Amino acid sequence: MRRLFLTITALLLTAGCSIAGNDDADGKTTVTFRLWDEQVATAYEQSFAAFEKTHPEITVDVQVVPWADYWTKLPADVAAGTAADIFWTNTSNFGLYADNGHLLPVDVSGDWTKSVVDLYTRGGKLWGVPQLWDSIALYYNKDLVTKAGVDPAALTWDPSRPDDPFRAALRRLTADGAGRHPGEAGFDPKDITTYGFNAALDQQAIMWDFVGSNGGTWQTGDAFTFADQPKTAQAVQYVVDLINKEHVAPSAADTNTNSDKALQLFTQGRIALFQSGPYHLKAVHDGAGFPWGIAPLLDGPAGRVGVVHGVAAVASARTAHKEATTEVLKWIGSADGQRPIAAGGYAFPGVTSVQPAFVDHWRQRGVDLQPFLDSAGGTTFPAPVGPRVGSGGTAYAPVLQQVFLGQLGVVDGLRKAQNAGNEAMKG
Amino acid sequence: MTVAPARRAVPAARARPGRSRRDTLTGLAFLAPSLVGVGGFLLAPVVVVLGISLTRWDLIDPARWTGLDNYRSILGDPAFGRSLAVTAVFVLLVIPLQTALGLAAALLLDQRLPGSTWFRAILVLPWISAPLALGVVWRWLFDPSDGAINELLGHRIEWLTSPALALPSVAAVTIWTNVGYVALFFLAGLAGIPPQYGEAARIDGAGPWQGLRRVTLPLLRPTTFFVLATGVISSFQVFDTVYAMTGGGPAGRTEVVAYTIYREAFVNFRMGRAAAMSVVLFLLLITVTIAQQTYFRRRTTYEMG
Repeated sequence: MRRLFLTITALLLTAGCSIAGNDDADGKTTVTFRLWDEQVATAYEQSFAAFEKTHPEITVDVQVVPWADYWTKLPADVAAGTAADIFWTNTSNFGLYADNGHLLPVDVSGDWTKSVVDLYTRGGKLWGVPQLWDSIALYYNKDLVTKAGVDPAALTWDPSRPDDPFRAALRRLTADGAGRHPGEAGFDPKDITTYGFNAALDQQAIMWDFVGSNGGTWQTGDAFTFADQPKTAQAVQYVVDLINKEHVAPSAADTNTNSDKALQLFTQGRIALFQSGPYHLKAVHDGAGFPWGIAPLLDGPAGRVGVVHGVAAVASARTAHKEATTEVLKWIGSADGQRPIAAGGYAFPGVTSVQPAFVDHWRQRGVDLQPFLDSAGGTTFPAPVGPRVGSGGTAYAPVLQQVFLGQLGVVDGLRKAQNAGNEAMKG
Repeated sequence: MTVAPARRAVPAARARPGRSRRDTLTGLAFLAPSLVGVGGFLLAPVVVVLGISLTRWDLIDPARWTGLDNYRSILGDPAFGRSLAVTAVFVLLVIPLQTALGLAAALLLDQRLPGSTWFRAILVLPWISAPLALGVVWRWLFDPSDGAINELLGHRIEWLTSPALALPSVAAVTIWTNVGYVALFFLAGLAGIPPQYGEAARIDGAGPWQGLRRVTLPLLRPTTFFVLATGVISSFQVFDTVYAMTGGGPAGRTEVVAYTIYREAFVNFRMGRAAAMSVVLFLLLITVTIAQQTYFRRRTTYEMG
């Protein structure tokens, strides 16, 4: 009985899959490449056009699956045998595939950014070819900071100081419809026209950076332990207070379910300081109708600490054409293969030697990327690791949303979130 | 019929199996297109889901047989119970309102006032639009800072993140989506009621309210049954609107059972538990539908030709 239905299940599942198309009629091999970023896909198209000239026997098919569906579609495709030969992954999600033998270990080498190589090394083997990386810095609206007399490069924060300089600066930068600042008589928190800062439940760009800068951590090994650390709780409390108590950041009701809200407010000139990564450079450059700049991360009790995250390309162990796939992997790990990503201004490339092309692209447009480089070169906060950390993060997200809305206290909320996350990671 | 039975019985007996087999084959051939659809896309998935519900499977590694473990685990899981409760509240909010508003709209349209045709088309528009797109648009409208609704009210209300308002807001959008569909069926039902009945009632001195209550509504019962049965099933399975508007939040206040199943399957990758939840939902819907059918069968005493 058991075998019967498993057979039926397997048959039905495989019936839905197309037979992997190895070779086209004209003798070409098609290698599929999947990523979630539509913009960077344009750079890859350029890169693969050059590749196909030197490798006439291989065609690379670039597929974009939007971020919102990426991690739900991937396991379904792996199960069905329709996953791409090569696909983008982030640190939260690759461990599961690496641990279960679904990825080919990388046996080519290259001149890659070390921090990204470290993120994708698991069990002594490298599982992905570094493609690009992000660090965090502080975008600022020059008009607003000048008007408030705030120097964005010299900002420090300390949750235990009553005269905390960062909170004082944010109060000066925030104003309601009548031009009043938080703390002044008659200030209306329901009618804020300009916010000081983009404090929100944005783990990579805000929360983990504050946690790290306060000397806290998020995980011990693969398990979440953030609720057990007073310094982590203190940093989260600080961020939540900026929203609900200080009223210097947009309400979580606006930002929790709309991750682009803060970016929109910044490009509309309604947020003075916008802490984020280079992934928003193009949107800010195209959208902002005011002079802006990039400053280093805030200096906190434990110094300037930011998250460095990298994206890698991994190869499916079930690819039907390993040789061609390896050729493509080599190409996207090479300087020539990544130049369009850097020179097009899309992202910091994983290949170290083409990094100047990215920096130059933005220097020509009057933007100095040094703060991102400093942030990556300084003390960094480790991106989450573990085979099921993606599921864990999704499980605790609703609890943290409540914390940011002020519906749940920080200490209780972190405890609840930690339990939910660790429970989900058991599988 | 006793005319020459002996002589006729023999050829008839000989002819019948061949002819009936041919008839069966012809019948099956005609049915084949639908049978393939029903079998491949309806019955087979049901069997597969039943099968998966008895395993532990994360999509990536092979499934492992676990018997009834998943059922034991979900029946003791407070989160599953809570999502069933949220769904029940949602159905109780949506069904009465959408049925009443649909009936009211149908009665109005049945008056053949000028512009009825246009209004009828506009009323059905939300129902033929993609629920996911509608959900996204409504999320913009409900946006606390820049949403059109709060701009109109001139007051900041956090519709989708307040624990008290989130579910009613999603229910309101669902009702708005379905009213046109319900009205269309009631309109068809009204068109099937011969006008003589209403005239006879009026001659006997019935006012409009009595005419509606004692003549129209009883005659609409088959339509009402259909509208209620399909409405209950679809609101029990609501997913897209919740997914687009709230993502189950805040704090699970809008986490309906279909959303829980989705989360279990495609976020937590516990396909077995998700399949077991689907089976429980399936049994629940069958029970509710049979109960509705029994209720209406007892009360529908005449058939309409």
